[in-house]
Amino acid sequence: MPEVRIKTLPPPHGGKLVDRVVRDPQMARKLMEKCSAVYDIKPTLFKGNPVRNVYREIMSVCYGFFSPVEGSMTKAELESVLEKRRLLSGWVFPYPILFDISEEDFKKLGVGAGDWLLLRLKGEPFAILEIDEVYEITPGDVAVRTFGTPDKNPEVVKVPFDQKHTGYNIYCSLNPIILAGKYTIINEPKLRPPFDRFWYPPKRAREEFEKRGWTTVIAHQTRNVPHTGHEALMKNAAYIGDIKPCDGIVVNAIIGAKRIGDFPDEAIVEAHEMVHLAGYIKPERHMVTFTLWDMRYGNPIESLIHAVIRQNMGISFHMFGRDHAALGEYYDIYATQILWSKGIPSFGFDAPPNEVPGGFYIRPQNIAEFWYCPKCGEFAYSENCNHKGIYSRYSGSFIRGLLNEGLMPPPQIYRPEVYKVVVKWWQKFGYPFNNEKYLKEREERLEVDLPHMELPAHLKK
Amino acid sequence: MAKFFGVVIDDKRMAALKGTPLEEKVEPIFGGALRRLVIEVPDDLGQKVIDQFTKARFDARGFIEETPAAFKRLVFKKIVEKKSLGPEVIEAAVAEIPSIKDEVAKEDRELPVPDIDISDVLELQKNPVQKPA
Repeated sequence: MPEVRIKTLPPPHGGKLVDRVVRDPQMARKLMEKCSAVYDIKPTLFKGNPVRNVYREIMSVCYGFFSPVEGSMTKAELESVLEKRRLLSGWVFPYPILFDISEEDFKKLGVGAGDWLLLRLKGEPFAILEIDEVYEITPGDVAVRTFGTPDKNPEVVKVPFDQKHTGYNIYCSLNPIILAGKYTIINEPKLRPPFDRFWYPPKRAREEFEKRGWTTVIAHQTRNVPHTGHEALMKNAAYIGDIKPCDGIVVNAIIGAKRIGDFPDEAIVEAHEMVHLAGYIKPERHMVTFTLWDMRYGNPIESLIHAVIRQNMGISFHMFGRDHAALGEYYDIYATQILWSKGIPSFGFDAPPNEVPGGFYIRPQNIAEFWYCPKCGEFAYSENCNHKGIYSRYSGSFIRGLLNEGLMPPPQIYRPEVYKVVVKWWQKFGYPFNNEKYLKEREERLEVDLPHMELPAHLKK
Repeated sequence: MAKFFGVVIDDKRMAALKGTPLEEKVEPIFGGALRRLVIEVPDDLGQKVIDQFTKARFDARGFIEETPAAFKRLVFKKIVEKKSLGPEVIEAAVAEIPSIKDEVAKEDRELPVPDIDISDVLELQKNPVQKPA
């Protein structure tokens, strides 16, 4: 008889967790001595608004969320990712991870392959980039190839990507010069509240799971304040497991640049936390975490980065719903579920990503939809409930519309405690959520503070 | 595929519909926790609405969402005036968007915080289960 119990957490993607954080100040000083120039990290702007900050990618690389990726990709690695969604080592990886710089800044720095560049964040030393290669990209070309086209990817891409798509704009707005090489954080940032209590990089997440005795864990992807439909999804999806439902439910919020009108990230993590603080899921079974990443809204492509992140955290299953990490109607609404049920050959997957060489141990839990059915008297699963015409489907946009009209969402939609968390951050940041002032201030504030660290004398010039 | 425009019907709006044929068209949602009227909108007209407002979008259900509250009020006004749930209601509302320009601009700047007591959640947050690293 095959053993059905899951006794261990899945291995990291690529076999080993990347940990490129130097915690010894003396070692950090030694490494800084080897740097030949200093560069202040700047946000990527689209029409003057911040849409990405490369510091988030450096954090996610160095703390192991993106294992086995260790830095900014070389030209050959970039081509491999765009062409096959594989690293040169053969491991699945969906997105270009690049350190881009303007021609003007590149000339000013005067660095090249073999040099080390000290990266400064918020005026303090932050990380080192060991430059292996310098090359040029055509940002628009990278953007198109990253997300696909209806011609090349007819299985799931419905219309060409354009400037209404945030992720496409991120790649289109990259600078043309790429400095490729490994990142190392040499001045460990302090996470700002409230993010500090949700900071579980892969190593810490795995330690926490082991402490709790969890071997079966399911991930819930979020960029939203949870409504009762999300809660029903989490509770029901977690019935997958081995001989019993999953030990743990881990919410992993994607924290990064957002669109005007989205909920503030502070409200998102605290609202999810309220699900266990207010007792709707036991805190012993529910954890809230986050990953720093400026969401690309790449639906099936995004689901792959989610699998990378969550498997590295030690998570065994991943919920994938309709319109996963999507924006607009560029992809088939079931594109992610198509990928994880039969594969998308044009994107390099003739089988699901957990069944291909270099693929994942994390397993998909493809979920159709939950809606509120007055006849069932519950948050019903769409593949169960047959009460056509009377159920109500959830929509985050609809709920934001209620708030916009000054209406308190009923408890059938939002737990009262969750709504009050939204109000708490509404009091602090104002409305509309993620307004221009908030977005501008948060891009200066970021999610971290950096301890003061002296620059070596040769870099002060 | 046709798109939809939903207008939430609170007590005040319900009173305005009282006695009209539209009263019967009001549908309960979320088990009666909310009520709404739904207008079916052709694709091109739906896109025209989306194009008027930066945040507006079609959601996964095919509904036009995240339009300003001022526009929703205008659509409701047109529903009552025309006693209809046809696309002409949306056409008339789109034609009058210039008249709500100031309201929309104000909405983009601020919306008063709901006056509710949140002390219970602040209390719960005093002792979170997850602690900073």
